[in-house]
Amino acid sequence: MTARQVVRPTVLVLLAVLAVVVWRGRMTDEERAIRDRLSALRGEVNASAADGLANVTRAARIGGYFTDEAVVDLGEGAPPIRGRDTLMGMAARLQPRTAAFRMDLDDVSVELVPGGEAADVILTASFVSSSVATGEESRDAREFALVLVKSDGPWRISRITAIDTFR
Amino acid sequence: MNLTRRLVFGRDPRRTAVRILVLASVSLITFRWVLLPIRAEGISMLPTYQSGSLNLVNRLAYSSRTPSRGDVVAIRLAGPHLVYVKRIIALPGERLSIAKGQVHVNGVPILEPYVKNRRPWDVPEVTLTPREYFVIGDNRGMRAADHDFGRVDVSRIIGKVVF
Repeated sequence: MTARQVVRPTVLVLLAVLAVVVWRGRMTDEERAIRDRLSALRGEVNASAADGLANVTRAARIGGYFTDEAVVDLGEGAPPIRGRDTLMGMAARLQPRTAAFRMDLDDVSVELVPGGEAADVILTASFVSSSVATGEESRDAREFALVLVKSDGPWRISRITAIDTFR
Repeated sequence: MNLTRRLVFGRDPRRTAVRILVLASVSLITFRWVLLPIRAEGISMLPTYQSGSLNLVNRLAYSSRTPSRGDVVAIRLAGPHLVYVKRIIALPGERLSIAKGQVHVNGVPILEPYVKNRRPWDVPEVTLTPREYFVIGDNRGMRAADHDFGRVDVSRIIGKVVF
C-alpha cells in the first residue's frame, strides 16, 4: 500500500467529518436572533452604570427582554419572581459592573417549537465576582431552562427555570 | 518574495494545504470528542486539584466501562464549557450517608486517602437509583453549605479527569 493510498482516504474521511460538524452547527435565522438577543441581555446586565438614573434606565432596558408576565423560578428556597415590573425593580437594585460583577452565558442550545413563535433554550449562566482585596475571581454557575416567545417583534423571555445539577 | 512564499506555503503548497487540513481535523476531532481541556476553578477539589490547574477529561473513558468509585469525573451543566469536577464515592443502587465527616456506603465506612481535611459533615442516608452516582469534592475542610455535591444522573458525567 502506497502513502498516497493511505493519505487520500484519510483526508476524505476528515473532510467528511468537518462537513458534518459544519452542517450540524448551522443555525436558522431565528436561532441566531435568539442567541443575539441573549448576548445583548448579557451585555446589558454587565454594562456599567455610574449613577442611580443610569441604573434605572438600564433596568428598563433589561425589562424589555422579558414579557409582561415573565416568571423566574430559581428553585427550592426562593419563591418565583413574577412579572416584568418586579424584575425591573430588582435589576435597578443590581450593583453596577464597577462592583466587579459579571454574568456569562455558555453552552446555549436553542430549540424552536413547531410554529416558530416560541423556543426552548438551555444554557449555563455563571456569575463571576472579584474579591476587592485579592482580585481573585469566584464563579457561581447554574443551568437554566428558558422559554422565549416572539411577541411584538423581538424575542422575549417568558420563563426562566433553574435546573439543579445535584440532587 | 520567493523565500517568504516558500516559508508560508512550503515547497509544495498543495501538500501544505493537505497537512493543515489534516492537522485541523485531527485537533477538532481530538478536542471535540476525545479530550476535553479544562481549567480547575475553586477550592472544592483541594488538595488533589489546585485552582487554576489545567487538566484533561477523557470523554471516551466510559464508552466501554462504567464509572468506578474513586474516579474523578467531569459533570456537565448545560454543556461541556463549564463543568464540575468531583469524585465518585457511591455507585448506582448503593446507600450513602456521611456522619461526622465519615462516608458510609451500604453502612460500611470507606477509606478516603485523598481527603486531607475533614469537617464533621452530616448527610442523611440516601439510596441511589440505577442511574445515579454520588459525587463530592476532596476538600471536606470547607463548610458543607459552600460545597456543591450530591447525586447526579449518569447522563451528566462526560468523562474521567485523566490529569
